[in-house]
Amino acid sequence: MIGVAGLLLTAGLLLFVFSPARVFVGEEKTRVSYLRERKDAVYENLRDLNFEYKAGKLSDADYESLRNSLESEAAAILAEIEQLEAVESR
Amino acid sequence: MAELGSYSLLLALALSVYAFIAGILALVRKRAGSDVLGETARRAGIAVFGAVLVSSVVLVVATFQNNFSIAYILHHSNIDLPAPYKFAALWSGQEGSLLFWSFLLAGYGLVLRLRHKVDAQLVAYASVIISAVQVFFLLLNNFAANPFAMVQGTIPPDGNGLNPLLQYPEMVIHPPMLYLGYVGFTVPFAFALAALIMKYPGEKWIHITRRWTMVTWAFLGVGIFLGAHWAYYVLGWGGYWAWDPVENASFLPWLTGTAFLHSVMMQEKRGMLKIWNMWLIFSTFLLSIFGTFLTRSGIVSSVHAFAQSGIGPWFVTFLAITLAACTYFFIQNRAHLRSENRLESLVSRESSFLFNNLILLVACFTVLWGTLFPVLSEWVQGTKVTVGPPFFNKVMIPVALLLTLLTAVGPLLSWRKTSPDSIRRNLLLPTMFSVAVGVVVIVFGWIRPWTAQADFYSWMTLVLATLVLSTVLSEFYRGGMVIAKQTGRNIASSLYVLTRRNTRRYGGYIAHFGFAVVLIGFAGAAFNQDIERELKNGESMQIGSYTITCRTHTQDDNPNYSSVWAIMDISKDGKPVDVMYPERRFFKASQQASTMPAVLSTMREDLYLVYSGENQDSGNPIIKAHLNPLVKWIWTGAHILLLGTILAMVPSLATSKVPIRKTVLVEERQPVGAND
Repeated sequence: MIGVAGLLLTAGLLLFVFSPARVFVGEEKTRVSYLRERKDAVYENLRDLNFEYKAGKLSDADYESLRNSLESEAAAILAEIEQLEAVESR
Repeated sequence: MAELGSYSLLLALALSVYAFIAGILALVRKRAGSDVLGETARRAGIAVFGAVLVSSVVLVVATFQNNFSIAYILHHSNIDLPAPYKFAALWSGQEGSLLFWSFLLAGYGLVLRLRHKVDAQLVAYASVIISAVQVFFLLLNNFAANPFAMVQGTIPPDGNGLNPLLQYPEMVIHPPMLYLGYVGFTVPFAFALAALIMKYPGEKWIHITRRWTMVTWAFLGVGIFLGAHWAYYVLGWGGYWAWDPVENASFLPWLTGTAFLHSVMMQEKRGMLKIWNMWLIFSTFLLSIFGTFLTRSGIVSSVHAFAQSGIGPWFVTFLAITLAACTYFFIQNRAHLRSENRLESLVSRESSFLFNNLILLVACFTVLWGTLFPVLSEWVQGTKVTVGPPFFNKVMIPVALLLTLLTAVGPLLSWRKTSPDSIRRNLLLPTMFSVAVGVVVIVFGWIRPWTAQADFYSWMTLVLATLVLSTVLSEFYRGGMVIAKQTGRNIASSLYVLTRRNTRRYGGYIAHFGFAVVLIGFAGAAFNQDIERELKNGESMQIGSYTITCRTHTQDDNPNYSSVWAIMDISKDGKPVDVMYPERRFFKASQQASTMPAVLSTMREDLYLVYSGENQDSGNPIIKAHLNPLVKWIWTGAHILLLGTILAMVPSLATSKVPIRKTVLVEERQPVGAND
């Protein structure tokens, strides 16, 4: 009885492991996909900054300086994305 | 029955080895058929769960069948053991708990492999790393701590029973919670190491593992608090935390895990602290394994126990191999972990995270040193030096106070830099309020901080915890008012929207709130009182404003244990408030005694009664009474902490896009990530 249970368990698991099936292959991570993630992160930082400013947590000077630096970062990312996409589309 | 369990364990080991080797081959050999090989490795990892599940079920069923031919069941169960504790026998001893480790790891691996489409390549690497850990634990299960080992010679008619201290409802859930925490850290560790090995571009792996890490951290936290609660309600010494090595073992990965949860935000938002975070999660995993080793090897009771332990060397070897692998891949790929930004100001959110991390690591090192010092001293000098609570408290109380200050101030600081004007805007009112609270408790004479160090620390804790509470409330209020102004909603509805729009941040704030409430509970310990008296029937004793009168004492008997207990009438300021029943039990199978304290708990204080024993001559009970202020704040705070953590795991509502002003000269910019 125990032997039969062991055999059934082995057969079932091996059948599951080696039975043919469609293999899912994900996309390769590229520099562009990484930059898109960075862009999302910077946009989120900008959203947080705007919200904190509206909540009165930041002085005007702090807000301007932080917003400018985040926008510069976002612009640099967008520029590189455009550049890489242009190369890809050629 | 035992044969099926043993066989399933061997099958699980074979499948794990296959998942590991086939997984590596599929990743290393980029040729036709590699994808199919990788898929079989993934499925083998899933199949491991099936095999380990069968083993675990066999052990539980055999326990319920009172199969004392299996040595593990003989040593950890008996016929009259109540059903929930028979189930808990699975994790009450070394072999069973290591099988449970394998089972949980296989479960986590199952979920990870089923969700492989989130990032197939990254999951394939992480899956191989999890298989490696699984192989180690299954090797232990099969060759060093086999739960299905048979009894040699005559099989006794009944088992030795479960340790009486474990026969308490909480002990059915406390170990699984701790184990879910310990084991769960394998997943973020596997993802981190995978990201390092494959030089994963970007921080998406952090995003993928964030919930894994939070769930694991929450389980470990719940396990720690349940352990403290169990110690308080079962051990009968009137406290909840004794800096016991086993307690410390669970606290270590929780500390580094807390540091990781915080500092990982810097990597996500600013691309900073990549090396630091990598080593934090490596350390957390290593400390989880180390904690399991510390708890299970017997090394903390004596190095000689370690020498006799069969599993000690296994763990040391595994820890060494893991550390070597982490170090090797780090050295090989460290260029991949360069920061994309630098710390711009010491007064910023980044620096507060950095200080928070440093403080947590100081705490971790202190606990580790205090835990291992007796072992090291015995190794070096041959004599064991005991490190007790005074050592830990001396370091950990100031550390906790610093951490509380950062918990209050950190969220109010901006990323990159914060001007004095912004600090004043955010901190003035909360600081004034917390100082006012500090003055009020002095004026009313509740705390006199100048009388003793403990009183000063308690006062500081109260002031700083109030600062945390008030900053959290001000954050909710400010945010809520913005939403109210934008949408015209009432404040309650605005607070709901605010929280749903950024569950991670506001869940985190609620967790901070809970942490502050817990600290207020800890502050009460400075004012604990106790008294011990022999009481005749009708006789009373006084502690604080409570009068405790012994009505009578009696005995009881059931198949599992016999007990003696007293019936105590409690009055407060002359008015009857409750009847309490402190009890002492004697367990028949294990021939061991345990206390069951009676606790009358309010937000102000706990009255805690222990049946210490009887006077041998008179037969009267000896009752020890403790008056412990604010203990209920600890359990309440733990619930709030958990609520905040759960909320932080809920996905946020989608928010609007932010328009970017096109005022930047793009030509002047360098490629992102090139400014190292």
